[in-house]
Amino acid sequence: MKSNLYFRRVAVIGAGLTLFRRRLLETPQELAWEASRKALDEAGLDLKDIDCVVIGSAPDAFDGVHMKGEYLAHGSGGIRRMVTRVFVGGATGVMVPITAWYHVASGLCQKVLAVAEEKMSPARPHPQSVFRYIWDPITEKPLNPNLIWIFAMEMHRYMYVNKISKEEIALVSVKNKRNALNNPYAQAAGNITVDDVLKSEILVWPVQLLDTSPVSDGAAAMVIVSEDIARRYTDTPVWIEGVGWALDNTEWTGRELTYPRYLEYAARMAYKMAAIERPSKEIDVIEPYDPFDYKELHHIEGLMIAKRGEAPKLLKEGVFDIDGDIPSSPSGGLLGVGNPIAAAGLMKTISIYWQLKGTAGKMQVKKPVHTGLAQAWGDLMQASTVIVMRN
Amino acid sequence: MSWDKIGYEDKLLVWNEIMEAEEYVYTVGVAGEEFFKGLKEKRIVGSKCPKCGKVYVPARLYCEDCFIKTEFINITSKPYIYTYTIIYADENGNKLEKPQVVALVRFENTNGGLLAFVEGEVEIGKEVEILEYKIPLIVRVK
Ligand SMILES: [Zn+2]
Repeated sequence: MKSNLYFRRVAVIGAGLTLFRRRLLETPQELAWEASRKALDEAGLDLKDIDCVVIGSAPDAFDGVHMKGEYLAHGSGGIRRMVTRVFVGGATGVMVPITAWYHVASGLCQKVLAVAEEKMSPARPHPQSVFRYIWDPITEKPLNPNLIWIFAMEMHRYMYVNKISKEEIALVSVKNKRNALNNPYAQAAGNITVDDVLKSEILVWPVQLLDTSPVSDGAAAMVIVSEDIARRYTDTPVWIEGVGWALDNTEWTGRELTYPRYLEYAARMAYKMAAIERPSKEIDVIEPYDPFDYKELHHIEGLMIAKRGEAPKLLKEGVFDIDGDIPSSPSGGLLGVGNPIAAAGLMKTISIYWQLKGTAGKMQVKKPVHTGLAQAWGDLMQASTVIVMRN
Repeated sequence: MSWDKIGYEDKLLVWNEIMEAEEYVYTVGVAGEEFFKGLKEKRIVGSKCPKCGKVYVPARLYCEDCFIKTEFINITSKPYIYTYTIIYADENGNKLEKPQVVALVRFENTNGGLLAFVEGEVEIGKEVEILEYKIPLIVRVK
């Protein structure tokens, strides 16, 4: 049953990506422009047609340019237009199309350019260092933790409670890097084995190098419009049918780490809007957020596509393969394509849009698809954003 | 009640830290590469929009209005002082021995501009000669 919310229908009619790479020559503004230009070209629109611009980027500290929303507006077509910047950490990439969605759904705008950019390379010694001050200054900061520490603790708890082995988790990295071989934008594609993952450098146990996504630069953009405009410009619009976002307890030390409750809340909101009652039966293709291999499994469970602790079993059966029942990360995900934080989440949304439009090229999944989902996750491991689309 | 009444630094638990990343290494970008290559050869490189004809200084990869790729060109039009200011202290607040004149130099019939240290009798609107091609430019009032 569809929820009785009142809003206008919203469609995606164009998208663009830059290469995802470490240390790209382009400035953040130039990357934003390149992705935006491609999105406008695919939509058949020009910048003069655009009413407003939504910009997504994670902390200014990545690019090393303060007030980055304003800085990026130059390359995102934001000059002399309504501009909004959104930021919910790693969940930003999907918050960008969600924000563009409500600009249009509300009737405020007809044609929105939604742009996400991140340049992880400039910060030295490592982009991790920009997270030095996200911790509790008294009880955590004295240990000088980094994010991988807490992901490692979350991964370990997930493995322990559900009796999951590292071999089972490594299969995600194997699958996604293999899928990325089909993606012309990908940075970390490859045919690897479970053994390669298990033999890779240990970063923070149980997280090893091939369990993680790389440091990347890149940008992504989408053109999101009202129903009238969509009908005028394309015969194959892809509709945004459900959106959801939620924040769980920000005190990560007190939170249930085995199961991503933040995602279940966000997914329930999106499913209600899209009238989805049985996600595992009604959703054809998914792009769950996978900066680490265990996170894809964690998120497939939070999306209620697999029962708690059962995602690894379905993965082993091939359910999430590109020719499986519910292909997961057919783009190659963050593990295979790369992880310029905000741009990575929008890349996942774009991947689903291209799947539903039927223009994903070599990435196109084998079965016919009608309903797809993209998801992102971030902040102190507790923010999530979900978008459901149909063709 | 205010902090200065109750807060004694030696009685508080304090961690002194620097913020976040230790340093940044930036790239100049596609247009920046052309611009800096030009400076080394004593040229000012701008870019021209093939659609609206607008010329940007320094060079930009794209026209911000038409949103299409521009073409790099050498700027030959007259540089002049658009506005200027006089600096009396350095970034730490120390008084300078000699006040420093900083101008925003623009080029006729172009958009944008470059910052410059100025020698000579500074005045808004006056043409300048570029003595050193670097950031900032060193210019002399003609
Ligand atoms: Zn132009």
